[in-house]
Amino acid sequence: MSKDNILASNFFELFELPVSYDVDLTKLQQQYMKLQKLLHPDRFANSSDQQKRLSMQQTSWVNEAQATLKDPVLRAVYLLKLNGIDINLENETTMDAGFLMQQLELRERLEQVRKNFNNTEDDPLAVLESIAKELKNSMNEMMQGFAESYAAGQFGNAREWIRKLQFMKKATNEVNALAANIEDELMN
Amino acid sequence: MQRNYITMALLQIAEPGKSTTAHQHRLAAGIDLGTTNSLVATVRSGKVSTLPDSAGRHLLPSVVHYGEKQIHVGQAAHQYSINDPLNTIVSVKRFMGRGLEDISTGDEHYSYEFADTERAVPRFKTRAGDVSAIEVSAEILKVLKQRAEETLGGELSGAVITVPAYFDDAQRQATKDAARLAGIKVLRLLNEPTAAAVAYGLDTGNDGVIAVYDLGGGTFDISILRLNKGVFEVLATGGDSSLGGDDFDYAIAQWILEQSKTSDRDDPAIKRLVMQQARQAKEALAETDTVDIKIDTEICHWQGILSREILEELLTPLVKKTLTSCRRALRDAAIEKQDIMEVVMVGGSTRTLLVREMVAGFFECELLTGIDPDKVVASGAALQADVLVGNKPDDQMLLLDVIPLSLGIETMGGLVEKIIHRNTAIPVAKAQEFTTYKDGQTAMAIHVLQGERELVSDNRSLARFELRGFPPQVAGAARIRVTFQVDADGLLIVSAREENSGVEARIDVKPSYGLTDTEIESMLRESIEHAEDDMQSRLLREQQVEADRVLEALDSALAVDGDQLLSAQEKSQIAAARQVLLEAKSSSDTNRIKQAIAELEATCEAYVARRMNTSIKTAMQGHSIDEYAADSKSKAETEES
Repeated sequence: MSKDNILASNFFELFELPVSYDVDLTKLQQQYMKLQKLLHPDRFANSSDQQKRLSMQQTSWVNEAQATLKDPVLRAVYLLKLNGIDINLENETTMDAGFLMQQLELRERLEQVRKNFNNTEDDPLAVLESIAKELKNSMNEMMQGFAESYAAGQFGNAREWIRKLQFMKKATNEVNALAANIEDELMN
Repeated sequence: MQRNYITMALLQIAEPGKSTTAHQHRLAAGIDLGTTNSLVATVRSGKVSTLPDSAGRHLLPSVVHYGEKQIHVGQAAHQYSINDPLNTIVSVKRFMGRGLEDISTGDEHYSYEFADTERAVPRFKTRAGDVSAIEVSAEILKVLKQRAEETLGGELSGAVITVPAYFDDAQRQATKDAARLAGIKVLRLLNEPTAAAVAYGLDTGNDGVIAVYDLGGGTFDISILRLNKGVFEVLATGGDSSLGGDDFDYAIAQWILEQSKTSDRDDPAIKRLVMQQARQAKEALAETDTVDIKIDTEICHWQGILSREILEELLTPLVKKTLTSCRRALRDAAIEKQDIMEVVMVGGSTRTLLVREMVAGFFECELLTGIDPDKVVASGAALQADVLVGNKPDDQMLLLDVIPLSLGIETMGGLVEKIIHRNTAIPVAKAQEFTTYKDGQTAMAIHVLQGERELVSDNRSLARFELRGFPPQVAGAARIRVTFQVDADGLLIVSAREENSGVEARIDVKPSYGLTDTEIESMLRESIEHAEDDMQSRLLREQQVEADRVLEALDSALAVDGDQLLSAQEKSQIAAARQVLLEAKSSSDTNRIKQAIAELEATCEAYVARRMNTSIKTAMQGHSIDEYAADSKSKAETEES
């Protein structure tokens, strides 16, 4: 960290965490709170505009750092960035045919739930919950895969894990959004 | 349950070494600018209370009447509501940051005339001229400010004003502009649910996750908060900025009009009268099982009975809508219903029994209803104001908020690209790079939207920013980096620079539903002229106050660590700039003071940054981050090889 500017420190250093894919989330949260208590603009409500601006920039930085390290995909992307590999998630896509096939099947299952939630004997929310659980399990495996590739310095492999993780994250969001919509429909 | 401030005050006296300058007690207030009623509260002798008017009434009805000779606010305006509806503005909060089309589509139960205008900001036609919602709100704020200053016997240093958590940027900005028109320095726009949690003293109780269910006159908010050692961290917030007790009244009023079979349902006076009857009936049914309703005017005679059963039938769909938002907020927060320890109930509409029953049934946990739901928000705001103004230097309370709705920009084909997602912790900054599509292009427009939908037309337009003045280059060569900064109040600030040349772009903001700075300034000027005050002397006083603030902050900083952090040369430079400001302050030259402040701030820039970093290092368990950084870097390098 540069002497006069926390904005120049990397996210791990900021929270006094080792640069590693395995992050102690409890410690992250504790350090986050500590920094917020020091830097938040509310601590400078009576200070000069200059100090207020600085505090706003610094808390924005702390917030971004926390959001990045908390999220398994963003954290992975950030680690590779620290190693000189820039990844634009929008443009990344995996070519693993087997994986893509699984993704298609998953989308079809979701479509089935969407279409039939009103006239099926299965509880659509329970079905979605079990899909979410499957997704979570395979995400955990992929995170493990990333951690190993990264630790071994195999950044090409690590990058491939990120592409797959990103797919899974999107799929999880879709499952949650669908569950929310179905829940609203069923309740009203 | 309430925060014990007497103890805190004693602690402060017992530890004089902690604060470096003898601290002067500043006057601060919390203001709940509500749809139906507004309140002001302050902390006095360690106790928080809302302030009554001279007749002992705490609630100021949010009603403004533009009369022949003068403007009435509150109870005084109320009586004109039925006889002079066009000049009496009620529920003005619903119009804050809103456009004409929002009003004509959604809210047909308003009976105002609007001025024909090119601008999207609606203006009520009154006999005192056309007024915007911002100006009407400023009238309410002026009365509350005056009430606080008369009670406290001095000028307010600042106020915390509450807004629904679900308010978008335009609505927040409108609120802040109204405060500015009323001559109030806003310490913070605080979300109403957070304010309520503060008032219940939940920061001093058990740590855990709570929900705040806030159903006011015109808005509904649900917030999920995590409490941890004095920090209130908002995990997710949701709601409906146009759903509230007014809609209950409206549903009941529609029922009355249907029953009465009156032919004149559009008459403004009838509408107001029936709305009032509906409201009284709703309130009565919190106590009894049936209520008699009697309408007796020249064009409408009707008498009937409204039972609680029918009331609940009318209201159930509305309450269900709020529960849908609750489910969504829980999902966004990734919290299970069972994890909610308790639910804080806020807003007058939570007095309705059906609301309590349905909310308790949904969350399956205890409801906190101990503090008057009308007063709880203002009280929380006052507690926060007292901390912010500096009266509680050792208080650990901190309120961390999120942005309630995603921010995005318009892209090709009328689609929205999200830049900052909803429920992101604020302050937050995101940068995005743009390029030019024509040779020699020196300007570009950015359309900023707020909302969750994909199409531009389905989201709320916030503003169009025109960036100008970057150097001409061939198409695609320019790299314009636009930074979207959201501050702690949830307000958006856009800045832009061209990366190749380093030129800062000039930004012209055209708010979609707000007033421009120029408009606000001219309103200020007008209002001051009306008051026969002197604009110049007011501006001068503002700068003098600002100069005092800067000097006080600097002196107390220097006393703490000036010797450790500054070289002799730096110290003498700062002392010189300080002297310049001291001299400027005693002059009556506003610009000279302004300039001297800017110069002193520039001189102190490195010092300010150094101080903050030092305090971070000290707080991070005593050992230096520098050492640690070097350490972890070498570790990362090892892993690479």
